[in-house]
Amino acid sequence: MDMAKFKAMFLSETEEHIRSMGSLLVEAEENSADSEGINALFRAAHSIKGMAASMGYEQMAGLAHHLEDSLDNFRKDGELSRSGIDRLLAGVDLLEELHEDISTDLPERDISGFMEQEPDAEQAVEENIPESSETIIHFLKLGLQENVVSPSVRLLLVLKQLEVLGTVENLSPELKQIMDGQDHRRLQFSLTTKLNEQEIKQAFQDYPEISELIFSTEPPPEENRKQDRRQNDRRGNGVTSGTVRVDTRLLDQFINLTGELVTNRHMLQTALGDQNWRELNDGLGQLEKLVKNLHGQVLKVRMMPVGSITERLPRVVRDFCRINGKEITLKVEGAEIELDRTILEEVADPLVHMVRNSIDHGIEDKGTVKVKVWRDRSHVQIQIQDDGRGIDPQIIRERALEKMLLSSKQAESMSDSNVLQLICHPGFSTTDQVTETSGRGVGMDVVKAAVEKLGGTLLIDSKVGQGSCLTMKLPLSVAIIKLLLFKCEGKSLALPLSRILQTQQVDRKDIITSGKQLMIELEGEKLPLISLRKVLRMSVPPAVEQISLVVMELFGRKVGLVVDQISGHQEVFVKKLPPPFDRLRGTNGGAVLGDGRVVFILDVQGFLERRR
Amino acid sequence: MSKRVLIVDDAQFMRDLLRDIFEQAGWDVAGEAENGRKAFEQFQLLKPDLVTMDIVMPLRSGIEAVADIIASDPAAKVVMCSALGQESMVLEAVNAGAKDFIVKPFQAEQVLRIVNRAMA
Repeated sequence: MDMAKFKAMFLSETEEHIRSMGSLLVEAEENSADSEGINALFRAAHSIKGMAASMGYEQMAGLAHHLEDSLDNFRKDGELSRSGIDRLLAGVDLLEELHEDISTDLPERDISGFMEQEPDAEQAVEENIPESSETIIHFLKLGLQENVVSPSVRLLLVLKQLEVLGTVENLSPELKQIMDGQDHRRLQFSLTTKLNEQEIKQAFQDYPEISELIFSTEPPPEENRKQDRRQNDRRGNGVTSGTVRVDTRLLDQFINLTGELVTNRHMLQTALGDQNWRELNDGLGQLEKLVKNLHGQVLKVRMMPVGSITERLPRVVRDFCRINGKEITLKVEGAEIELDRTILEEVADPLVHMVRNSIDHGIEDKGTVKVKVWRDRSHVQIQIQDDGRGIDPQIIRERALEKMLLSSKQAESMSDSNVLQLICHPGFSTTDQVTETSGRGVGMDVVKAAVEKLGGTLLIDSKVGQGSCLTMKLPLSVAIIKLLLFKCEGKSLALPLSRILQTQQVDRKDIITSGKQLMIELEGEKLPLISLRKVLRMSVPPAVEQISLVVMELFGRKVGLVVDQISGHQEVFVKKLPPPFDRLRGTNGGAVLGDGRVVFILDVQGFLERRR
Repeated sequence: MSKRVLIVDDAQFMRDLLRDIFEQAGWDVAGEAENGRKAFEQFQLLKPDLVTMDIVMPLRSGIEAVADIIASDPAAKVVMCSALGQESMVLEAVNAGAKDFIVKPFQAEQVLRIVNRAMA
């Protein structure tokens, strides 16, 4: 029998089971598992075993069988030991890896290492077998000489060499990125091996292309994050599978709607033939309703509960606490709220990133991180709040001055809350030191960029000594959004309405200069002006008395974007540009307007970054 | 006994150049091949200690030839000859089992350093 056609279903179902095993285990650890929890775990392992065996995936079936056996033992005892949970979690990780192998059409990896190392789970509790003291985990940074040709290939070869020496994990950049052939010259990883530092160095004696090899026995703080990111990627962010399971009732509704559309088409055709304008008008009114209804239903199919991405947070927090000895409680509220799967996919990593920031830098020894999700009209807000030390705006000010992101005048006039947003500035985030003093920084630019790419906004609020609160305000869906339309040099251009703070007409005479920078005072705040014509390298516009401003945030600062004319707003269906144009920075796709014209959706920040 | 190398490249010029480098260093050039198919035949016939393999060749590419060779002898030592800009192909070859790569234009010292390391 040809099993290939079942593969997608197999992958999506096993993924669900694997994920639920992960969360059940973390839960079990917190509330010392009851028999109900163990039963659920047992059932999941059992299902995976059956499915994998039918598909002929021997490694996965074997591993699931093995986990099922240990769970059966625990079931008899009626409780799960801590070491048992560790062991099972390791098994679940391995299941995920096998899942990934299968989904990427690779041969299943060898898991005999895990199976053999299995001391009978119960024995492990009683005897508490110590880990082999011989193996050491080295955390290494490796750099290649500047003049090395084909550095990616070189890194791959070095990796192969490393794998002869021991087990390489926590790789950054990931193998996939190296294989993409980008110019990577640095590698960070952990190496679990019996060799000591000297012996490893010796193994690379013959490699003059390696310019540095730095050892440490502790994971660098960044390592945690990288490790995390890697795990997220590996473990899939819960929404990556290409298939969707749809309630059959929804499908029925689609059929009904299609039927009504067919009827509607006939009605319109007849009305047109009869030149009956009233009928035609009624028909169009119906069509509008039907399309709106259809849109709503399609969106429903794309919706998934936010829980699919918050599900892995307990594990992140648990693993972190175990390594760093902190005591952190994670609370998740509103996991049942639904969002478009594309959006969930995009914010999955940023979310982990922010939670990681909170538990790593915000909270010192003990505290609570709360992830709260709620629906707010046409938006969903996801808030990450901690009761840690908070961010000191004064320190950010000083840093921004040092980094020359602000002039001293700007630093003075800027409100504290605007200052806080600066932690998302790319120039700000790259400095390691900031993390230590301000408690935040690394990667926030990436988070903000991800949120804004979706047409959302990121708000940062913090009080020194009371904690920080980061809020992502996200649209419900990405495909259909509202655009603000405007013109420059006769061309229609657009920005997502959600990115815009306000639009304003100002008099030319109100423009003030500060050095070379033109500014305007709006509601007591001085905004720098940026000419869109200049950004787009268009001609200089003729001088006019009234200037149209679009107020938005760029690089964490409020600015006034000068456009020729604001033409209104419209709801549109956004289309991504086809490759290779999708790689151009400066646009976030395009849309066809009601009158057939095409507009590009600008990514002004991307444009300016490209310019740098 | 000196080590034996099989040189694979569709350009006579390149083969001569490599032959010169290897012979100067005391290697024995066991054979040459000008395409991937012949490379595999020669490999099975000659069982050389090392193969240098060009990437873009007629009949069967160097990447395919590496895969053939490694499939027949997983311990075979193949070093790819690449030019600038062939990074993704070299990656593929390394994944297929090539031990290392040398970059054109060849420099004797670089070539020997890399092949000796691959032999270790």
